Amino acid sequence: MAATKTIGIPDTPFVNEVRLNAWHWIVVFAILAIIGLLTPALWKRRERFEPRPDYRIPYGLSKDYWLYERRLQPIAPTNVVVLGDSVVWGEYVRPDGTLSHFLNEQSGQPGKFVNAGVNGLFPLAFEGLLRYYGGPLRHRKVILHCNVLWMSSPKADLSTVKEERFNHAELVPQFYPRIPCYKADLNQRLGAVIERHFTFSEWATHLQIAYFGQKSIPNWTLGDDGRDPPHYPNAYKNPLAQITLKIPTEPAVDPERGPNSPRHKPWSASGEGSTRFEWVELDQSLQWAAFQRTVNLLRSRDNDLFVLVGPFNENMMAAENRPAFRRLRDGIADWLAKNHVACLVPETLSSALYADASHPLTEGYRLLADRLYNAAAFRSWLDKGR
Amino acid sequence: MFARVASERITPGANTARMLFHTWPFLVFLLIVLPVFFALRKTRLWLPWLTVASYFFYGWWNPHYLFLVLYATVLDFCLVALMDHCPREGNRVDVLARLTRLRFDDRVLKAAFLGAALATLGILGLAVAGPKTLRPAMTALSLLVFLMALGALFSSRRIWLLISLVNNLALLLFFKYARFVVENLNGVFAWAHLSSLKLPDPSALMPFGFEYLLPVGISFFTFQSLSYTIDFYFGNVQRERNFLRFATFVCFFPQLMAGPIERARHLLPQFHQFPEIRLQNFTDGASLFLVGLFKKLALANYLAYYVERVYDNPRAFGAPALVLATVAFGWQIFFDFSGYTDMARGVAKLMGFNLILNFNNPYLATGLGEFWSRWHISLSSWFRDYVYIPLGGNRGGTFNTYRNLLLTFFVSGLWHGASWTFVIWGTLHGLGVVITRELERSAFYRTQVPRLAKQLGVFAFVSFAWVFFRAGSLNDALLIVNRVFTAAWHDPQIPALMIELVALVWLYQFLYESRYRYLLQTGLVRVGIAVFMVLYLSLCASGGGAFIYFQF
Repeated sequence: MAATKTIGIPDTPFVNEVRLNAWHWIVVFAILAIIGLLTPALWKRRERFEPRPDYRIPYGLSKDYWLYERRLQPIAPTNVVVLGDSVVWGEYVRPDGTLSHFLNEQSGQPGKFVNAGVNGLFPLAFEGLLRYYGGPLRHRKVILHCNVLWMSSPKADLSTVKEERFNHAELVPQFYPRIPCYKADLNQRLGAVIERHFTFSEWATHLQIAYFGQKSIPNWTLGDDGRDPPHYPNAYKNPLAQITLKIPTEPAVDPERGPNSPRHKPWSASGEGSTRFEWVELDQSLQWAAFQRTVNLLRSRDNDLFVLVGPFNENMMAAENRPAFRRLRDGIADWLAKNHVACLVPETLSSALYADASHPLTEGYRLLADRLYNAAAFRSWLDKGR
Repeated sequence: MFARVASERITPGANTARMLFHTWPFLVFLLIVLPVFFALRKTRLWLPWLTVASYFFYGWWNPHYLFLVLYATVLDFCLVALMDHCPREGNRVDVLARLTRLRFDDRVLKAAFLGAALATLGILGLAVAGPKTLRPAMTALSLLVFLMALGALFSSRRIWLLISLVNNLALLLFFKYARFVVENLNGVFAWAHLSSLKLPDPSALMPFGFEYLLPVGISFFTFQSLSYTIDFYFGNVQRERNFLRFATFVCFFPQLMAGPIERARHLLPQFHQFPEIRLQNFTDGASLFLVGLFKKLALANYLAYYVERVYDNPRAFGAPALVLATVAFGWQIFFDFSGYTDMARGVAKLMGFNLILNFNNPYLATGLGEFWSRWHISLSSWFRDYVYIPLGGNRGGTFNTYRNLLLTFFVSGLWHGASWTFVIWGTLHGLGVVITRELERSAFYRTQVPRLAKQLGVFAFVSFAWVFFRAGSLNDALLIVNRVFTAAWHDPQIPALMIELVALVWLYQFLYESRYRYLLQTGLVRVGIAVFMVLYLSLCASGGGAFIYFQF
């Protein structure tokens, strides 16, 4: 250092009184720590959340991971948790038309099988959901659904290079393993990684999703009604009045779902299709790798696992496309068998029982539950350790 | 708490990657830079570390522009070094005699002359025979190097200063104003039926096909570097002999992008001593950073949504919405810019450095002159010292004073952006300063008009001028002004929460400058406000747009 002379340098001036000394900061941190730790816990006591036997997280709350964790917490150790994407959740059916509902019917014990599916999820995100929010899921019997749709093309597998925007991006691996089509910037990636570890932040997100239409409070006050010219119905409303402490539930009559919905119909009138899926190789599939990690994660938490593979709508495929699909399906079953994971690959349902490539209709779920419940492998798994 | 969303007007070149103060990458950057800095602060290595960190910070935005900031730094460093070899008192030079007798008393100047002369020839050669893409840049460079040869030949401090001025202003002119000038000149040529004279777009002059983008912070670092050469020329600062120290002064990362524009005599001495870091540095730095973060994320970004809604489609809104959006913009830009400055000062403070105050509750000003002593203080003092005073300042009578004021504000408006709207905004402020000066001459205004009325009057005038600053074009600005007086009175549908937050801040500022300030000085209030800000940020932060002033 050439010169170390002391020169009089003016202090940093303040033009407000928010100049805290060390003691002030200690008090601030203490208050924030108390609020941060206590609020989510106290909130659980105050906010009414009583899932009934066929309860499933409403689609609008799919991104409320704090609620998902809360949903898993009270599940009794004797119950069986059914995990999966929209196939388990029941995209085209009402809560009383899902796989878990019909399994309950089969068992004669309402609430025995718990629908813990999340609509809009896929294996890469599901892995994140269970890793960061699935902590309460330990020492349980778990049915994990494997939807091969996610390996039906490089795009579905998220292994294309071209940018894709998808749901639940916060849950996928942000840095490793690399998802080529995920082009979020460093800020978003770091934000996702950091915020996973702050319960308070997740609770704040819960408030936004449950009471403010998935918006921050300021953005909610600016929200429009979608008409032209727009109207801003929340501009003068009191945001605090929105917090009713009642978690939104699915509508009693959902025009989008159930036998009375126009969407609830077979995927094709003819029952035969000619779709050529671009099945990805299992050893190169990102979604399959994520599914494998999910299996290992669940088992590392001492869960007794049963995997249900499909049934995928084979009727949709062109004949020459089926061998590739079967190779993939058999590969999945082989890996599960090698790793001593109980599993079932049910035969394809009849064409009229599918709404699309992977989602059964209500009767499809009923039949699937029947086949599953009466399969020897499943019964032996279910009875094990009883 | 930190930003998740990004949607905003932002300067070109800043879209690809961001390291804004309120983003996670900056936090990671800080978590690496600060501990190493603290570890090195008692060694000679703290300065190189700070230089590396600053260059990394700037390079993160666009690595190509590192060359630009490095070039400006090297040139000004050398120019001042050469200036130091020239006699302070300039003698009249016999040009003919000097040209016929090439003898140098100073070895450095001799080397500079030879180097510059050879470089002139070489660069001129490149300009003539080199790759076509390099010709415009090489021609400009050869002119600059030729001037350097002249500076060495005539041992003239004035020529060295001139080179620094030309170089810095040329960078600014090219990257910021060239398109504006070309478009306006081409408009004039077309009007005069002289389309054959049509000038090419400045992007055609970029070497190697580089993209023509406005480098983030160029107006700030060029002004900062320029102030050093001017101050040295006038004997106000000593020559800095350590290049790293000077480079750090020019690109010190907390204030590199949007100021405050530091003066060499304030910041450079701080780089001469080992940084002294006490507990107060952390508490003050964190206090400043928190306030800045709150201003940016909780207030500026929130207001931005309403302002954008109205200003993007002014025809669709009635007079109340236009007035409220204009007022909202006044607060948005204050929170945005002063928030950035607070965070910059906070980060610098953490490292033991003090940056100058840039905003001092400007919306409490009772006159336009006072407003400018509270708003963007580092820029207004820069213009005062390097434009207004050299123009003659307030010497030479009222007319000359007002002329100088208007000229200074005209240039200040232009500094903010290459658009007529900015020029009008600057000129309006110039007129406002002149008018309030005249008003303050009257005893009635000074003694009878209540302070609050003056404050509200200044706020109303400043808000009116913001219309021109914010509007997308001159036509939009005129349309908004017109509609404020002619459009129907529809419900503005501005969120009540927005009004309440701004009102709270304004009330706080009024209290701060009143005899009730003691109410804000209690520990309970300080802690309460800090807790409120953190909780509000955790629950309600609105996105993470870039800072408005980055585009200047």
